[in-house]
Amino acid sequence: MRTLRAWFLRAAGLFHKERRDRELADEIESNLRMHIDDNVRAGMTPAEAQRQAMLKFGSVESAKESYRDQRGIPLLESLWQDVRFGLRMLRKSASFTALAILTLALGVGANATVFSWVRTLLLNPLPGVVAANHVVALETLAPDGSWEPTSYLDFRDLRDNCKSVQAMSVTKPMALAVGDTESVERVWGEAVSGNFFEMLGVKPALGRFFSTAEVDQQQNARPLVILSHAYWLSHYHADPGVIGASVRINHFPYTIIGVTPEEFHGSMPGLSFDAWVPATMYGQLASTGDNTLLDRKWRTFRVLARLAPGVSLGEARAEVVSHAKDMARDDANTNEGMSATLLPMWESHYGIQGSMLGPLGILMAACALVLLIVCANLANLQLARATARQKEFVLRLSLGASRSRLIRQVLTECSLVAVAGSLGGIAIASWLKGTLAWFLPRSSVPALGHVPLDIGVLFFAITLAFAVALVSGLAASLRVIGRNTDEMLKTGGRASSSAHSSRLRGLLATSEMALAVVAMIAAGLLLESFRNVSKIRPGFDAQQVVVAQLDLSAASYDAQQANAFYQRLQQELERQPGVTAVSYADYVPLSLSGGSWEKLEIRGYVPTPSEDMDIYRSLISPGYFNLMKIPIFEGRDFRSSDDMNAPPVMIVNQEFVRRFIGTGTAVGRQVHGWGSWFTIIGVAADSKVFRLNESPAPYFYVPMRQIYRPEMGLAFFVHTSASNDSALSTLQREARAAAPTIPVFDVMSLSDEISVSLFTQRISAGLVSVLAGVALSLAALGLFGVMTYSVAQRTNEIGIRIALGAQRKHVFAMVLGQGTRVALLGITIGTLAAWAVTRLMIGALYGVKPGDPGTFCAVSLLLLAIALLACYVPARRAMRVDPMVALKYE
Amino acid sequence: MTAAKSDVRQGTLALMVLKTLQTIGPLHGYGIARRIEQTSGNRLVVNYGTLYPALLKLQQDGYISSEWDVSDNNRKAKYYKLTRAGHKQVEKEVGEWEQTNAILARFLAPDQETQ
Repeated sequence: MRTLRAWFLRAAGLFHKERRDRELADEIESNLRMHIDDNVRAGMTPAEAQRQAMLKFGSVESAKESYRDQRGIPLLESLWQDVRFGLRMLRKSASFTALAILTLALGVGANATVFSWVRTLLLNPLPGVVAANHVVALETLAPDGSWEPTSYLDFRDLRDNCKSVQAMSVTKPMALAVGDTESVERVWGEAVSGNFFEMLGVKPALGRFFSTAEVDQQQNARPLVILSHAYWLSHYHADPGVIGASVRINHFPYTIIGVTPEEFHGSMPGLSFDAWVPATMYGQLASTGDNTLLDRKWRTFRVLARLAPGVSLGEARAEVVSHAKDMARDDANTNEGMSATLLPMWESHYGIQGSMLGPLGILMAACALVLLIVCANLANLQLARATARQKEFVLRLSLGASRSRLIRQVLTECSLVAVAGSLGGIAIASWLKGTLAWFLPRSSVPALGHVPLDIGVLFFAITLAFAVALVSGLAASLRVIGRNTDEMLKTGGRASSSAHSSRLRGLLATSEMALAVVAMIAAGLLLESFRNVSKIRPGFDAQQVVVAQLDLSAASYDAQQANAFYQRLQQELERQPGVTAVSYADYVPLSLSGGSWEKLEIRGYVPTPSEDMDIYRSLISPGYFNLMKIPIFEGRDFRSSDDMNAPPVMIVNQEFVRRFIGTGTAVGRQVHGWGSWFTIIGVAADSKVFRLNESPAPYFYVPMRQIYRPEMGLAFFVHTSASNDSALSTLQREARAAAPTIPVFDVMSLSDEISVSLFTQRISAGLVSVLAGVALSLAALGLFGVMTYSVAQRTNEIGIRIALGAQRKHVFAMVLGQGTRVALLGITIGTLAAWAVTRLMIGALYGVKPGDPGTFCAVSLLLLAIALLACYVPARRAMRVDPMVALKYE
Repeated sequence: MTAAKSDVRQGTLALMVLKTLQTIGPLHGYGIARRIEQTSGNRLVVNYGTLYPALLKLQQDGYISSEWDVSDNNRKAKYYKLTRAGHKQVEKEVGEWEQTNAILARFLAPDQETQ
């Protein structure tokens, strides 16, 4: 306590120095006077009295000095001196300072940005959730080991029996049509159990949340909704009176009971939701009726669980597996061979973290490369500077400054650079963090719109900046300060060890070059595979086609009403000028949404026991193949007469024929699905469904008029002879006019849709190229610095050479040759390293091998060219050295 | 043989200052120095370069306080006096010092111990 008080007073002593100095002077003066008085009283002459008193008193200045040390905090005061001196020194060498700060800011900014993404997607996937690392995903496993959603009844059994799980909740992501009869808007929501928020530990920002007792008992009995903070702000202007208000969701009235806190975005990593409704309302909202929650085969829910305290994921998983085994036995008719497992959030199959894992890994590696280059570059700058300041250091050392004091000075200057660098880095990061959103598909759930730049990221950036600046600065300065003062004084502080330090600087430049080569080759390979993927032909023609998706589930149509609606909208669209063809389907190829499948049985084909007979399909209208320019090789297209009253028919793709039918004719074969037998009437060409770089898979088409599911998607395709833009607005207008209460969304051209599907490749290729560009410029800057410095050091030598008759072009070649040697060595090492490292990226590459000779050669040549460019200016300078000036300078 | 004058041993000056103030009451720096020298029979020399920082430290620790006053012969001077905490500190340090002394005495005269 007393020490604290003393330190507080000493800290206070740092201020009002003048007043305190005056007071001390007064005190000394008065004490001296008293001494003299005493001496006079003892019989001395006034002069003698004064002399004796002064003698006795000793040095007033030294007394004041030690008094001041006690008064303030000497370390702090000299630190302040260091800071001021450091600022002056940094200002004096402005180009060094600017380069160092810029380099550091680039490195820190890039790393902080990627760190913030990784944190959001992988490390902190569920913001706003308490102890999120105990929240895990439960996934049902099909007999072949592939994951599936979970049925509500399975969920209830697992929830009631698992002891190692504290709480369990379903969540079902749904597109909800929110709004009145005038206009509706598609809002992403989750249908959840009553304990959902309680399980996640989220507290309402306003109103209240559901409870198990309230909403989990009865189906379709509690039309309640909870809104996100963002939705509450944008649609209700943060009006607290919203609680208790009514809002129409899929045309049913719902009561708003609560608002979530700002940081909470729902339960899927990287995605944000705006509304939560009870899972028991799912039947009403999805128009599937009460059966959804009562049918063990209706596997549609995602399940989250919170582990009980002290239970590990492995233990809980073992229990879940054992219960699932019991259920597979007890409910054999539905669950035979099924199992279940628990997964940490980042491994779960929902959310975008799965598709981001690869690109982010590559980005992180690229960032690490950039950071290494930043270190080398900064060390190089510091080394040059330390050598240039040798004179100053030697002088200060010989005047009695301690080494520790000089090191403290260097540390202070490094810290100043680090402070500026981390500020710059944070600025760059805050600008860069939004760029991820550019690469993400805008069609899907609003994702990662707001990556938080929070304390964690700031701390990361600042720590990084300081670590890099201090390590590189200290390493460089210690080489100078640590040396023998006498020896250095003899050489007049001139770089006595310049050979050694330029060797070191050459080494640093070499390693920068090598690292840049690795980064550039990685970027080159990713760009090449991006180009390859974009060149893949999807198997259909996206030119001049625009698409709009409609959410029919809100309308609760039956099959006939739905069919009437399709035809009405189709006729309206066909009447519009410029429209050459109109078709509709329940799925847009390459649109990133998961497709639907049906378990098929093919007459004449015996599947192996473990074979997955769930085959993906589209429901389409007649004319779809024509509009998409997908050729039909055999048989015919659907006709409008292929409806509910006609015998069921299907068209299969070539791969379907290859796998299940073989060489015989496909048309006329019988296929069982949806509880009835379909006849194959045609074979269409293979086309891409989910990803451009997928390999062909069996696929089939069925007329939309023969199969109807209220929850299925609906997309209208319009082929236009006019511009895409006018077709887009026509489509939007007509779709809205046809049914104002049905949400229309994702209206875009099909080619945009395809380019969106490449977003992971785009992220890797785009961002890694940017980072590689940064790496390249830093390395070039490093080489330029080394060469310029080396020429400056050798001015004298070059002057003598020229005076002795060396030709200027030889001098030019000599400097260029020296730089080229450094670059070539770096390029060689980098190529070898890249050859070893790029193997790890094989999963991210398409149509290009990790050791692609073209990329390697191109990058090597590019780097050599850049290196020559970086050496050109210093070489010119060397060539122009005036021997007279150079010699006089000595 | 004349006893050489010695500087005050480090760490003991604070106690001497506190004890002096306890005995005499409020006193200025010069007076404290003279008093310590006198008490030591002029065997100690108080260096002002040590005294002022020591006084400041005692103030920072809260054992003494200071104020400007007028001395007997009408000079303005800064007077120091013990605070309540200072009084306690004197007792404590005197106790500690005596204990240390007693222990040290045993070490310096070990013969008595062994016999």
